[in-house]
Amino acid sequence: MVSIARKNLFHDKVRFAVALAGIAFAVVLITVQLGVYLAFRANVSVLIDHTNADIWVTARGLENFDFGKPFSEKKLYEVEEVPGVAWAEKYLLAFGYWKTPAGSQETVQMVGFDPETMVGAPWNIVKGNPQDVKYFNSVFYDEAETNRLGNLPVGAETEINSHRVRVTGIIRGARSFIQSPYIFTSFKNALNLSFVNKGNTVYVLVKVAPGYSAQEVKRRIQDTVKDVDVYTSPEFSKKTEDYWMVNTGTGVALLAVALMGLLIGTVIVANTIYTSTTEHLKEFGTLKAIGASNWDLYRIIIEQALINSVIGYAVGMLVSYGAIQAFKRGHLQILLPVPVLVGIFTLTVMMCLWSSVLSIYKVTRIDPALVFKS
Amino acid sequence: MPVATQTVLRLDRASKTYGEGESAVEAVRDVSLDLEAGKFIFLMGPSGSGKTTLLMLMGCLLRPTSGSVYVFNEEVSSLDEARLPRVRRDRIGFIFQGFNLFPALTALENVEVTLNLKGYRGGEAREEARKLLTHVGLERRMDHLPEDLSGGEKQRVAVARALAGNPSIILADEPTGMLDSRTGRLITEILRDLAHEEGRLVFMVSHDPRITALADQILQIEDGHLRD
Ligand SMILES: Nc1ncnc2c1ncn2[C@@H]1O[C@H](COP(=O)(O)OP(=O)(O)OP(=O)(O)O)[C@@H](O)[C@H]1O
Ligand SMILES: [Mg+2]
Repeated sequence: MVSIARKNLFHDKVRFAVALAGIAFAVVLITVQLGVYLAFRANVSVLIDHTNADIWVTARGLENFDFGKPFSEKKLYEVEEVPGVAWAEKYLLAFGYWKTPAGSQETVQMVGFDPETMVGAPWNIVKGNPQDVKYFNSVFYDEAETNRLGNLPVGAETEINSHRVRVTGIIRGARSFIQSPYIFTSFKNALNLSFVNKGNTVYVLVKVAPGYSAQEVKRRIQDTVKDVDVYTSPEFSKKTEDYWMVNTGTGVALLAVALMGLLIGTVIVANTIYTSTTEHLKEFGTLKAIGASNWDLYRIIIEQALINSVIGYAVGMLVSYGAIQAFKRGHLQILLPVPVLVGIFTLTVMMCLWSSVLSIYKVTRIDPALVFKS
Repeated sequence: MPVATQTVLRLDRASKTYGEGESAVEAVRDVSLDLEAGKFIFLMGPSGSGKTTLLMLMGCLLRPTSGSVYVFNEEVSSLDEARLPRVRRDRIGFIFQGFNLFPALTALENVEVTLNLKGYRGGEAREEARKLLTHVGLERRMDHLPEDLSGGEKQRVAVARALAGNPSIILADEPTGMLDSRTGRLITEILRDLAHEEGRLVFMVSHDPRITALADQILQIEDGHLRD
């Protein structure tokens, strides 16, 4: 079979290149923005997602994980009494000022966990033993924050909130893109270093006993423990992600750029496809005279749209891949699961098909007399 | 094998008016015609007299405003728009003054794509396209793009393309208009052979008095009317 669609595309090389550039441009913007969006989303809840708890108990009215508010640790004992609770643990999150060797202050978030149970401990260790945080004012930080925190090696000392601390280890994968660096230490150390009053905790983490559902236990805690909010881990994770993505406008901004890419891409592609159709109108008329039905003509236009989208997508993904590698060097992990890639491909095809609507309209209305004009 | 006196195309008081009211143009008026297989017929007339319009009526590209058009006894003028492509595909081959070849396709592909449209697949279409191009004397230029062919060669490709699917009716609008007189005559002779040797109805618009001798019949049109 001779494909007039393909032959015509490759015949007008310049126009084909323009269309592909338009599509690839849209694909790159959408892919990178979406990838960054998903990475940011996953990143803001990274500590929740890596903590081995089913339920988070928080102070009343908390907006997200990073804005933890202290409440009495007596609540821990009330929670422990609720049927279906396998265990409950204190977990602290508090702001502090980290002194860099250069003398400047860096805001940090201290994460305090129990080194006996290791619930809420860092999960990817580069150097050191995380159980060592039980020693007086021992702290761990993420390797990606090394520069920001002043290049302090393991063994070095500095200050948090004017208390002496010692770097005991380095971890990985707990970098916050939006918030200040997380500094891991024991609950006890964190409480000492922070401005949180003794006898308080910021979170209570709960493991559900076998045979109970998280929803069920959550409801029971809500019913028995006063003045706290209770979330399952996925709920708390989503609440935190939604807060950072929606309330701060971060997600909206990222998605808006992706949408803009889609719009600009559509305009460029629609324009080139339409111009091409206009210039080939006599050929379409000739095909019609020869006996082609309108559907035969639509098929040619649609085939062109599909060829455009497949090649445009491939080029776009290639460029995106390069961009993503560059981002990775900046420690920004881009998240692009396969369903998202398939989704972007579908979007590309739809964009090209949508761009063909005007052309289809045009060939439907060809004046047959056109073919007799020389 | 010419079939004796079979009417393949008939017009019965066919008229075509473009537009409405003040600006209406009666391009073809009350034309009745009975055209038989195997005939080579010329249509002549001044510019704007309705030649192309009449050809479009015969070729099912336009429907008459009044009157009827029959192709092989089927009244095509009453068919709805969506069914006309089938009639054109099965019965009619067009040849144009400006060749109208597909510029991105080689001579062979130009014919092949037309055969594809008419239901020929893959190798079968390629084989048939070769045969048709050889038939019009283009066996050596099959793989050239139209831009690399001379006017006469282009029109031969167009003739081969019009023959794709073996239609009984060939309609040509000034096919020699862009050719020098010697080439024009060669093309006209090919068209005549399609009528006389292969039994097709070949109906051709022409201005050129030097080739009229080749025609079986010359029709004159003026202001949309056929003159006797
Ligand atoms: N689409 C149209 N709308 C309105 N008027 C038209 C249209 N097409 C043709 N006409 C008019 O109809 C008349 C016949 O036109 P037609 O093209 O059939 O003439 P022709 O004999 O083929 O002319 P030429 O020798 O210049 O090709 C002319 O007056 C022309 O202006
Ligand atoms: Mg004309």
